[in-house]
Amino acid sequence: MLFLSQFANALVIGTLYALMALGLSLIFGVLKLVNFAHGESMMVGGYLYYLLATSFIVHLLGLPLIVALVATVPVIFFFGIILEKLFLRSAYERKTVRFDEYVILVTFALGIFMQNLALPLFGPYNRQAPAIFKGRVRIGDLVIAGDRLTGAVIAFVVIGLLFFFLYRTYLGKGLRAVAQNPNAASILGIKVPKMRGMAFGIGLSLTGIAGALLGPIFLVNPVMGVPFAVKAFVIVVLGGMGSIKGTIVAAYILAMVEIFGSIWLPDPTRALAYKDAYGLMLLVLTLLLRPQGLFGEKERRA
Amino acid sequence: MKQLSIFVFVGAAACYPIFFRDYWLYVAIIGLYYAILSSSWAMLAGQVGIISFAQAAFAAVGAYTSAILVIRLEVPIAVGILAGAGSAAIFGFLIGALTLRMRGPYLALTTLGFSEIFRIFLTAEFELTRGSYGLKVPLLFDGNKVYLYYIGLGLLSIGLLTLMGILNSRVGLFLQAMREDEDGAATRGVNTVYYRLYAFVVTSAFAGLAGGYYAHVVGLVSPRMSLISEMGLILAMGIFGGLESLLGAALGAIILQGLTEYLRVFEEWRLAIFGALVLFTLRYTPEGMLPKIYELANLLWRRSLQMMKSGSN
Repeated sequence: MLFLSQFANALVIGTLYALMALGLSLIFGVLKLVNFAHGESMMVGGYLYYLLATSFIVHLLGLPLIVALVATVPVIFFFGIILEKLFLRSAYERKTVRFDEYVILVTFALGIFMQNLALPLFGPYNRQAPAIFKGRVRIGDLVIAGDRLTGAVIAFVVIGLLFFFLYRTYLGKGLRAVAQNPNAASILGIKVPKMRGMAFGIGLSLTGIAGALLGPIFLVNPVMGVPFAVKAFVIVVLGGMGSIKGTIVAAYILAMVEIFGSIWLPDPTRALAYKDAYGLMLLVLTLLLRPQGLFGEKERRA
Repeated sequence: MKQLSIFVFVGAAACYPIFFRDYWLYVAIIGLYYAILSSSWAMLAGQVGIISFAQAAFAAVGAYTSAILVIRLEVPIAVGILAGAGSAAIFGFLIGALTLRMRGPYLALTTLGFSEIFRIFLTAEFELTRGSYGLKVPLLFDGNKVYLYYIGLGLLSIGLLTLMGILNSRVGLFLQAMREDEDGAATRGVNTVYYRLYAFVVTSAFAGLAGGYYAHVVGLVSPRMSLISEMGLILAMGIFGGLESLLGAALGAIILQGLTEYLRVFEEWRLAIFGALVLFTLRYTPEGMLPKIYELANLLWRRSLQMMKSGSN
C-alpha cells in the first residue's frame, strides 16, 4: 500500500518535472544553449500566477483560478521573446568567437539579475499561491493531494498540446527542422532567427507554467527555482541533451529515485534535505556510464 | 605605461594599511579574498574557456575543511588552510575528470548542481557543521588586521604569479590553442582533456586556499558561502574587470567590493545592480568594463597632452 501510494506520488511529481524540464530541452534543441536562468524563469511564473490569482480583478469578477494560470502564459512568452532579442540574438548574428562561453554567462547573469530583483520587490518571504483545486482525491485506498493531482493533470494536457504543436503544426515542424539542421532549414525558407525567438519564448512559457503549478504545492519565493533548475539539468543530461522523448523518461526516473530514495533513508529530516542530492548522484552515474544520456546521440569528435 | 601602472598599484597596495585602519582595512581584506576567487575564475573562463559555477562552493570546501581540522584536530591554522586548498583540488579533480571529457556545458551544469548540493549538505549535517548557524573559527594572528592584510596580499600575489606563470609557459600556449581551436590542438598532439583538467584543478585549489584564508579572517563559516548568488558576485567581479586579464579580474573584485560598501544604502538592490552591470558589460563590452575604462582614460590623457601641446604653440 505504501508502495502504491508512493508510486502514484512519483508519477504525479514526475509529470510536473517533465513539464519543467521540457522548456529547457526545447530551448537547448533549437538554440543549442542551456538556459542557466531556468530556475528564475520558473520563479517568474510562480510569482505571476500568485499575483494574478490573488489580485482583486480575479476576486471581483469571481473568475476561476485557471484563468490566472492561462494568463501567465502570454506574459512569459513575450518576456522570453524580448530577452532573446536583447541578449541572445546578437550572439548568433555577430557569430561571437566565444559563443559557448557567452551564452552560459549571459543566461546565468540573467538568472542572478532576476533573482535579486525579485528579492527586494517581493521580499524574501514564502508565499502560498492558491491552488486550483484543494482537498484530497480518493481512488480506492489511494489518497492524493488535490493540488498535486490537478497540477499533474494540467501538466499532462500541456505536454500533449506541446506534442501536437511540434508534430502537427507548420510552426512546430519549423522548430524541429531548425533543431535538426539550421542551415538546411534556412535554405528551405524557414526564418531561423524568428524560430529561435519562438523557441525561447515557448520554452520559457513551459517553464513558467511549471512554476505556476508548483507554486501552490511548494512555496513561492525568490530562490524557489534553484533546486528545480538543478533537477531540470539532471533530467536533461540523463535523457540526452535536446531529446524530447529522453527528457520525459528521465523526469519520471528522477521522480522515482527521489521518492523511493527518501523512504530508504531512516532519518526523516535528513531524508528531506537529501532528496535534492539524489539528482546529483544520478547525474554522476549518467556521466560515468552513459555520458550522452539515455536517448542522446553519441558525440562525434572530428 | 602598463609597467608604470602595475608599479603604482603594487606600491599603493603595499602602503594601504598605513593610511587606512580598521573598517576600510577590513573591507580591503575581504576584497583580497574575492580578488583571488575572481582572478582564478577569470583564468578558467577567459583563457581556458571553461565556465565553472563552483568557485564559491570550492571556497566553502576550503573554509570548512580548515575550520573542522583546526577545531577538531587542533592543527595549526596554516596547515588547515593548505589542507583546505588540497580538498578543493580533490573535488575539482573529481568533477573535472567526470565532465571535462565531454564538450558542451557539462562542467557548468555539474558545478552548479554541486554548489547547491554542497550547501544543502552543510545545512543538513548539523553535528559536523552546526548547520546554518555556522562554525566559529579561531582567527589568524588573533585578528590583527595589518598582518591579515599582508597575508591576503601575499596569497593574491602567489595566486596571480602562479597562474600567469602557467599562462606564459608551454601549457599556457596549449590552453590558448585549445580555446581557439580544440580539434586543431588535438590533432597537433595536445592532450586537451589533461590540460583542461590541470587548469581546473589548479584554479579550484586557489579557490580553496582563498576560502581557508577567509574562514580565519572572518571567524565564522556558514553555508551561505556556497550560495548561487555568491557565485554571481564572483562572476560579476571577473566580468567587470575583464575575463582576459587576471590582473583586471582581481582589480574588478577589489573595486566592486569597495563599491559594495558604498552601496550599503541600497542593501538589497545591490546584487540586482551588479547583475544589470554584468548584462550590460557582456552585451556591449565583452572584453570587460575595466579595460574599456582604462582605454578611455588613456585616450583622454593623450588628447589632453595634445591639447596642451597645441595650446602652447
